[in-house]
Amino acid sequence: MNAPERNDKKPSPRVLVFACRWCALVGADAAGRKKTELPASFRVIPVECASMVEPDSVLRALASGADGVAVMGCHLGGCRFNDANHVAVKRMEALGDLLDTVGIGRRRLLLSFGTAHEGHEFAEILGNFLQELGPLPELTPWRKTLLNLPAFR
Amino acid sequence: MSELIHTIREKSQELLAAGRVDGILCLVRDRFDVVQPRLIFRAEEIGSIETSPKWNLAKLALQTIRQSGPSFRLAVVCRGCDERALLELAKRNQFDATRITVLGYTCSREQAESCLCVRPYPEKPLAGEKIEGVDPFADPRVSALLTGDEGKRMARWAGLLSRCIKCYGCRNACPICVCTPCKLEDDLWVERAVVPTELIPYHLIRAFHLSDTCVACGACQDACPVGIPLLTLQLLMRRRLQERYAYEAGLEADRKSPLLMDFDHASPAGFELPAWTVSSEAPHER
Repeated sequence: MNAPERNDKKPSPRVLVFACRWCALVGADAAGRKKTELPASFRVIPVECASMVEPDSVLRALASGADGVAVMGCHLGGCRFNDANHVAVKRMEALGDLLDTVGIGRRRLLLSFGTAHEGHEFAEILGNFLQELGPLPELTPWRKTLLNLPAFR
Repeated sequence: MSELIHTIREKSQELLAAGRVDGILCLVRDRFDVVQPRLIFRAEEIGSIETSPKWNLAKLALQTIRQSGPSFRLAVVCRGCDERALLELAKRNQFDATRITVLGYTCSREQAESCLCVRPYPEKPLAGEKIEGVDPFADPRVSALLTGDEGKRMARWAGLLSRCIKCYGCRNACPICVCTPCKLEDDLWVERAVVPTELIPYHLIRAFHLSDTCVACGACQDACPVGIPLLTLQLLMRRRLQERYAYEAGLEADRKSPLLMDFDHASPAGFELPAWTVSSEAPHER
């Protein structure tokens, strides 16, 4: 079974954003208030701290249809919860290694710490990410469509 | 009889006779000429201790300790990988490390090559000579899966992993996978009893949970009935952990994994943003 042809109007890549509510969520809010133009294909999940985002959740998101996942937190050293976001950095980096191993690539995982707390920054970072994801191949073989699994082709 | 086995048997004899251990977990050749793991208690049985084939005993040792009384002391005759796995389990408070004595022996060159083992020896070998390990990245089978065009690799890995029949053998064989409850049995993360396996949730969650604990014993790979190169999945993460934090699982008993939270220490990374994070501003001053 061949992969379905992509039409010209390729939908914009879907992105799930985990945003720290003390920093990146403020930026996301500001971007919304300013009515900054952004593709509508991202969703934001506010979290108390970026270190609360388990790498498993990122994987679950990729498996459930996200083309990319963004994890945004505070400045290193500026975390509300001592050094919690350092842990997030280290775990997410290890997750990036795993994504690199299997060829999905760490490009699908956006990490931004302390640089998305203003509306225009949030919009810029996310806009760039969405653009970068555009040409990447679909993750179809990694998702649960039975007939798309290579073993069943 | 090789000298290696002789030394091990002698030492086991000594420990049992002195009453320093209550039982010895080891591979034993039984009267049907079959080698399998056994827990032995009597000196007569020591003559049948074997060292091959490869059989990871760390998980069995953990189960033995858990099921026995609080004063039961165990000796384990095992290879370097088991020693590291036991250390890693003790570090994560799975058992009291003082209750286990490791009688470690080194592996031969052929054994190291068949396992692609970096450290084919225990830290304090009781028997055998330490030999240099094999660099797994130099192996063509491994490098084909870890380097090269990303898109092709993605398809290759998807093909390999989609063979999975979800027997949970990799998890059950892994000496480190001891969590209860396990995320792989939770419908929120991985659908149970559905084949073909969802590749990202099952395989990558399993692999990531072992990112800083995998001792590269290869038990998962040996247990896999469909021959997925599961150890290769861990290699890059292990290497990067070593490059970044000079940390390797199963070596230092008093050092926590760098991926764990630790309030005792100062910030592990500086105040500068790592180069690989996305930033819209210039590097800021400290």
